[in-house]
Amino acid sequence: MALPSKTASRTRSAGKFSPLLRRMVANRYLYLMLLPPILFFLIFEYKPMYGALIAFKQFNPYLGIENSPWIGFRNFEKFFESYYFWRLLKNTFLMSFYSLIIIFPASVAFALLLNELRVKKFKSAIQTISYLPHFISLIVICGMIIDFTKPGGIINSLLLWIGIVNEPIQFLILPEWFRSIYVGSGLWQSLGWNSIIYLAALSGINPSLYEAAVIDGAGRWKQLLNVTLPGILPTVLILLILNVGTLLNVGWDKIILLYNPSTYITADVISTFVYRRGVMEADYSFTAAVGLFNSVINFTLLVIANRISRKTTDSSLW
Amino acid sequence: MTKRKWLVQTAVVLTASMMLGACSGNNGTNGGNTNTPPPAAGEGNTSESGGEGTRSVGGLTLPIAQDKLELTLWSPSGGNFRGTDFNEKHSFQKMEENTNIHIAFQHTTEASAEAFNLMMSSGQLTDIIYSDVWGTEATKYGNWGALLPLEDLLAEHAPNFSKILDENPDIRGQITSPEGHIYYLPNLALASEDLTQMFPQIRQDWLDKLELPMPETTDDWYETLKAFREQDPNGNGSQDEIPLVTVSLENIMFLFAPAFGVEYGFFVDNGEVKYGPADPRFQEVVSYLRKLYDERLLDPNYLVDNTFQSLTEKVTTDKAGAWFGWSGSYMGNFTTLMEGKHETFKISPVLPPKGPNGDQRHASFRWQAAAHGLAVSSQTPNPVEVVKWLDYQYSEEGILLNNFGVEDISYELVDGEPVYKEEVTHPSNGLTNTQELLNHTIGGGSWATVADPRYAEQIRIANGQTENPLELYSDFLDFDAKMPPVQFTTEESDITVPLMADIQTFVAETVNAMIMGRGAVEDYASVITQMEQMGINQVLEQYQAAYERFKSQS
Repeated sequence: MALPSKTASRTRSAGKFSPLLRRMVANRYLYLMLLPPILFFLIFEYKPMYGALIAFKQFNPYLGIENSPWIGFRNFEKFFESYYFWRLLKNTFLMSFYSLIIIFPASVAFALLLNELRVKKFKSAIQTISYLPHFISLIVICGMIIDFTKPGGIINSLLLWIGIVNEPIQFLILPEWFRSIYVGSGLWQSLGWNSIIYLAALSGINPSLYEAAVIDGAGRWKQLLNVTLPGILPTVLILLILNVGTLLNVGWDKIILLYNPSTYITADVISTFVYRRGVMEADYSFTAAVGLFNSVINFTLLVIANRISRKTTDSSLW
Repeated sequence: MTKRKWLVQTAVVLTASMMLGACSGNNGTNGGNTNTPPPAAGEGNTSESGGEGTRSVGGLTLPIAQDKLELTLWSPSGGNFRGTDFNEKHSFQKMEENTNIHIAFQHTTEASAEAFNLMMSSGQLTDIIYSDVWGTEATKYGNWGALLPLEDLLAEHAPNFSKILDENPDIRGQITSPEGHIYYLPNLALASEDLTQMFPQIRQDWLDKLELPMPETTDDWYETLKAFREQDPNGNGSQDEIPLVTVSLENIMFLFAPAFGVEYGFFVDNGEVKYGPADPRFQEVVSYLRKLYDERLLDPNYLVDNTFQSLTEKVTTDKAGAWFGWSGSYMGNFTTLMEGKHETFKISPVLPPKGPNGDQRHASFRWQAAAHGLAVSSQTPNPVEVVKWLDYQYSEEGILLNNFGVEDISYELVDGEPVYKEEVTHPSNGLTNTQELLNHTIGGGSWATVADPRYAEQIRIANGQTENPLELYSDFLDFDAKMPPVQFTTEESDITVPLMADIQTFVAETVNAMIMGRGAVEDYASVITQMEQMGINQVLEQYQAAYERFKSQS
């Protein structure tokens, strides 16, 4: 970016906007490359925000967004007044929170372990095996979970054989097991895939730092603590902040496939409630209101997490 | 040079396709488009001048359109409908020939409510729309302005359907919205013995083997299931029998709840609408089922292992003793599957059980007008032709096409009665006869037409079932106790929908938990109190109002 500033300083006299214009012309290919992502965000992220208006309307597709009658905060009230509002909020938060505190550090640890492996073939074999579940369709994953956790399934057979239990456990019927199953299978699904980005960060650490550490007499453990971890810390923190920003977004698909009325008490989350109440009843104003509520909470959490991170470390999103 | 040539070619292709686009745009749905030649001038003239080539079917003049007309129709395919394009069915090919209307089907592979909801909300509707939720949702979409009110068009252009309405006055009330509009034409079953849907079924050979009588009361059922569990009726030396299997709690409730005077949902008690789970008598149902579950008489895995496939497996591996199901897909299907594989396998229908207070009725039946059928888009450019085409489905000829297919292809007339051909009743291609029939036609039970009782009868007899199990239940159908297909005004559903979303969650959760032994059944009164706090009484007020309006209409 040295070139544009030079150009700019040379033509300062030529009007207020022309330096920018001139820079744009000089770097037209860079700007051209920027265009698709900008268009993407405009079309798919900003334009639909207009549709969020229906959260405050009684939306009727045959009148359109414009002509549907305004009803103020009625849709939000309907959600807050729901008998299950607090339970939904709690379940959603807990489901997300457990996923975050278990899957997030596990992925980092897994990447660090992989990084320490020196046998190339072994390393790539493990990597491939750990990515695999990520590519299996969710329907199949849930079918496997149901089969494995059945009274006659592999997990119960194993527990009975070892003698930990005397009676098969009805995992998917007992509400106390639901979060463990959800988070446990989530860990299996995403561990390998999530570790990729840390592996990339690890490969970005300057090897001369390791050489210097070795010369200073650091062993493998000290190298990990003093070189590797500080090296990937900014990446870890940024991802952590981003994850906090999606805390209330628990996907409905996996839960819908695994829950049943007897596990609602721990398994019913905002998105599954919205699915039953909004999508199945075609009440889109209501779903939009809940979505907007989720976004506001998520955004608040993101800002707080970012502020904490900026105060305590040097890394932050902005 | 080559570049220039390429440009010219592209330009030509582009212009051509734009012109084509413009043409089809102009023609709109009138387009004979590509595969149908325009009708010859002479042909058009003769029918216009002399009415030659036209005929009347119950007052409806055929062909409906002079020039080939194309209408669009949205419908799920596959599953009960079988096939990926309905125009492959002979019945629809023949209909096109007779009416001169081509139906361009738009199919979704899934019958999912999401697909339907999204389509309805897109604002882009086909001329005709199939759904199985019109019974309860037609009013809502009608109020949105999505559907065309049909009552006036029907009176003027639908002689066949109007005749059925006049002969069966109850039907009008079942399909009329609170504002007095008819928004959809339903599937119809006219005789009372055709209205029974699912019913209790039991392994007759197990009863015989253990020398047990047919269970008559809820207590008998308990004893019978207990014997199935303990006395090894399948004779393999291990207690692997699952006496009572089901795909859902609802089916088990259909079986037992009426014996205790209630239902697992809304029902009518001496003219008063009640919600079963909020009725004190429901406690007895829960404690009865709790006992069945506790003693492993009810499938302990019923909530998770809830597919028809796994139920079929339990039946065909000789483990299941009793269930609540359909005549064809359960009883007939299982019998066919076990033919030659099991020496004594026999299923018997069981009368609805009698409860401790003498209550006995059968709750699983449909109304004459079903909730499924065809509705018309308010945007259709050809409302009259659409209504005439719909009316054709209810003409004698249309009913025959929908139920039996095309003469000499899937059935023959014997003494004036349609009889399926041997290729249909005993297909040699590995399909069941129901499946084979659906290659020829849509099936009288699933379309906007009249279900012909001879269809079910002939298939049943071909499957070796000489008696009609459904006839057993005719005496136990209480039309006054079943909640009729009422439709709600926008104000009413604004109250009921959000409240019922929570109440249904609460009920499903609590009732299942109690059956499984979590939560004390003795405290059921507190469950009812909880429902009252959640607003069940407000909901019931709306239902009562809708019910009374319904009663006054029919």
